[in-house]
This record gives sequence, C-alpha cells and structure tokens, in this order.
Amino acid sequence: MNKKQKSNTGGYEIRLSGTGGQGLGLSGKMLAAALSDEGLHVAQSQSYEPTSRGGMSRSDLVVTPQTADYPLATGLDYLVILDTRAMSISDGMINTDAVVLVDEELVPEPPKGDFKVHALPLSKKAISLGNLRVTNVVSLGALIALGDICSLRTLEAAIERITPKKYAQMNLDAVRAGFELAAH
Amino acid sequence: MMSQIQSNIPQRQSLQGNQACALGAIAAGCRLFAGYPITPSSEIAERMSKELPRVDGVFVQMEDEIASMAAVLGASMGGVKSMTATSGPGFSLKQEHIGYGIQAEVPCVVINVMRGGPSTGMPTRPAQGDVMQSRWGTHGDHPAIVLTPSSVQEIYTQTITAFNFSEIYRIPVVVLYDEAIGHLVDTVDLPNPESIKINNRKWADGPAEDYEPYAPDADGIPPMPLPGDGYRTHTTGLTHLESGFPTQVPEEVTRVTSRLLNKIELHRDAIEQYELSCCDDADILVVAFGITARASERAVNNARAGGIKAGLLRLVTLWPFPERILQQLVERASHVLVPEMNAGQLILEVERLCPDSTPVSGVNKFDGDPIHPDEILAKIEELADE
Repeated sequence: MNKKQKSNTGGYEIRLSGTGGQGLGLSGKMLAAALSDEGLHVAQSQSYEPTSRGGMSRSDLVVTPQTADYPLATGLDYLVILDTRAMSISDGMINTDAVVLVDEELVPEPPKGDFKVHALPLSKKAISLGNLRVTNVVSLGALIALGDICSLRTLEAAIERITPKKYAQMNLDAVRAGFELAAH
Repeated sequence: MMSQIQSNIPQRQSLQGNQACALGAIAAGCRLFAGYPITPSSEIAERMSKELPRVDGVFVQMEDEIASMAAVLGASMGGVKSMTATSGPGFSLKQEHIGYGIQAEVPCVVINVMRGGPSTGMPTRPAQGDVMQSRWGTHGDHPAIVLTPSSVQEIYTQTITAFNFSEIYRIPVVVLYDEAIGHLVDTVDLPNPESIKINNRKWADGPAEDYEPYAPDADGIPPMPLPGDGYRTHTTGLTHLESGFPTQVPEEVTRVTSRLLNKIELHRDAIEQYELSCCDDADILVVAFGITARASERAVNNARAGGIKAGLLRLVTLWPFPERILQQLVERASHVLVPEMNAGQLILEVERLCPDSTPVSGVNKFDGDPIHPDEILAKIEELADE
C-alpha cells in the first residue's frame, strides 16, 4: 500500500516540526484557528518528549471539509522543519509535490525527494526582528506565502486573537516578515 | 443553572480531548473534582480547576491518587456528582478505592487517559494497555462499566454518559481513552445544552423507620440515602447485607454479591454502545476502539475501495463487552481482526466469544506510536488473500 495515500475525506495535512521550546504547539494553534475561521475542520495533534526543552517536537494539522476519518497525519502536503532532530520523523510521509520549508541554517541538509524544498533564513529573520523565539511565527508567514493554505489576513486575525496583548505586535511583525521573505 | 453555564461556550469550537472531558463533566452536573495531575490527563484537572468555581463546585488537588479517589467517593456519598482523572500509574493506585466504590455502590466517574506502560512507562505517548486493568484492576468478583470514546466530540458525550450510568447503576464508571485522542485538538460541535439528557440517582424517599440502605428496587438498584434526610445507614467495603452491616454467611453472601453482579448484567442492553460500519456483508470484521478504531475506519474504507468486504465494529462500551452483536456479526464473517495498541488484550475477549471455526488475528503495537491505517489495511489484505 502506498504510504502517501490521501485521507478519505479529501483534505490536506500540515506538519510543523523542530525541537521542544520552539513554540510549534503555539504556531500550530495559530494556523488551526485561522483555518477554522475559514470554515474548515482541523484536527491538531502534537508529539513531544517528556522534557519541556530539546528533543523532537511536532505539531500536525489534518485539514478537512468535514470531520476527518483518521485525525492523525499520514501523508504530508506541507512540512516545516526547524531543527535536524525532527528530520527522521517525516521519512516516507511526504507527499509528491508537497511544500517543504526548512530553516537554511538550522537544517543544512534538507530532505530530498519529489517535493519542493524551500530553504529560507527564517531564524535569521527572527533575530533581525529582535527575538529568535518568533522563528515559529516567521515560518508560518513563509509557509502560507508558499502554499495555498489561507490568506495572510486570516492568519493575522487569528494570531492577534490568540496572542497575549503585549506580544501581539511582535507576532504580527513576524508573520508579515515571513510572508514577505517567501513571497520575494 | 446548566444552560446558564453552557451559554458562554460557543457550540462550534476547537477543543482538546481532555478539555472536552472537563466540559462534559460540568454539563453532566459534576461539582467536585479531586485529583493529582499526571501526563497525559493533566489538562482535565487544569480545566476543572477553572470551571468548577464558576458553578459553585469544588476543585481539590489532593496529595496523591489514592486520596483523590477517596475524596471523590466521600463527595458522592454526600450527594455531589464527582470525578477524578488520571493515567496508568495513578489508575493503578486508585484500584483499591474503585473496588470500595463498587462494593459500597457509590456513583462516580474515573477518567483514565492511557499512556505507555508498565509503571511510569512513556508519559507522552499513547497506548491502549489498560483494557484488562479497567475490567479487573481491583480485586474480587465485581461488575464494571468502561466507556471508550474515539473522538474529541465523543469524549464530551461519553463523559456525560459515564455520569448518567454511574448515577443510574450506582457504580464507578471508567472513561478510558488514549493520549492520542486526549491531546487531539479538533473542531467540534457541542450539543445544545437543552438536548443533553442528564440522569440523577434515585434518592430514598420512603418511611425512615424500615429503611435498609442496600435493599434494591425491582431494577436491582437500591436508592441512596441523602445525608441529613433522616435515614439510618451504614457504608462499608465489607460484604454487607441489605441493612448495610457485614455478613459472611454463605447464602447471604451469595445473594448480595449476585445482586451486585447482576445489576449490570440486567441492564446490558441499555449500557452496551457500539457503532457498525460496513458490517452487513462483511467477511472480515475489524473490532477496535479509541484512536485505533479511527485508523480501522480508514483501513476498512480503503479495503472496500479495493473490493474487499471488510467491516468495523467500533466499541464505545468496552465493558461489559457488547457480546451479542459480536456473536451476530461472526455468524457471517470468516475472519476477525483486532488491532490494538498493546500486546493483545481485547483479542482475548473476542476469541472467547467467537466460535472455534472463526479465526481471530491481531495487529499489535506498543512502541508509543498509534497504529497506522495502512498497517491494518495490510493485514486485511493478507486475510482476504487466504
């Protein structure tokens, strides 16, 4: 059986992966909120190690028009990798023509296959904005610029709603910077 | 009061499984939670600590899981619907008091979000290794009701059902689900609060002088005395007569223990819940629950697309095991497949119920990863080729 078989409910799958502490659960939540706002069903799952920093971490979104038959990721259409520790977990799961976005510094050797790899200076951009920790949000902006997921406006609205007030502007700057980074 | 609480909660929302459990408990009328946090169940306690004060309920973080279970029993005996939530190691610690609750017929709900075991095992990884513990974790002959939701939405509804069953049948009810479902955040449509059916326990209301706390009604279930209502009562974990006082007289023990066991047997039809998918003409019958049932659903659909007559019996009530429907389905099915995230527990019960002529196979995994739909499909295809 082809491992890349699509869900029966006609949707797509997104994985945000890296290491514990990079805020992948939060960026998954932001993207899920944006997609829900567009009327889609989003099943979001996470995997992490018992330690709160370090180790593999991932946040998966299964996006479907109706409730998904199986809510966990089986074939990825969009994949973000922000740390080499998360490389192997997606082996054999990346769909043909998938969009794969990696941080060019943190993931020097991205996966190879019949999918499109985009290596961008995501963490570098976050540092230039004044905070390495917004790399997760920069990558969200870049991802939606590269793939047909949702509009920047919808994502910005979701980010503003979810983020505590004092960090809202920082995250909004980060998502826009990521979007522009990939759109150019 | 309930509709007032619920009106603040949007019906369509992104909700985590464990959060859905907490909201379901509040909707069911739970007004006391006593627990000790443990991954992957902690979000239930966290949400209850926020929700309960809003409805004049009580949240207590106890010193450990044993004390938590005791507090839940005490609160329920005082007339308050109560719940605790835990995972493997904590579920082990609660077993003695769960037995007390069964023997003393104290309604309450115990949530067990399964993680890898044995012992502290794998805290953040899903498993389904507590199938038999949820049935036989406490000692002695005893009845059990265990419900196994397979979606965030169903965690909400089955938590409510667990409270209803516990109230109707006066028994601790276990809601058993795996980490994958507990930590899943999904788009759910919570039911209209007006449409939720809530059952409450029977209170004693006859003359106080002849009252016997464990004298059953015709349905096998004794009404409970509400403290302060003037009924003389006695509660013990010892085997007890209708009066509540202990006995070791063989014929009396046989009578009262049989009643305890039969009160669930008598009501099997009302307790057994399951869902059938593509079963009418199924040659290969898959029996599964929880996240594994979701994987099985896709596997069955893909098998059908490939021309294989597969069907799924999804167990919602795990215990008492829905025996009759399985026996009906295997009259037609030539193979039964039991995928489960353990080394083979549910399969033992399925084998017990299947005729010798029906082969039963398993798909077993206990490495901390859920069973992939394709792993089940591969086994279905293998069986179809035989």
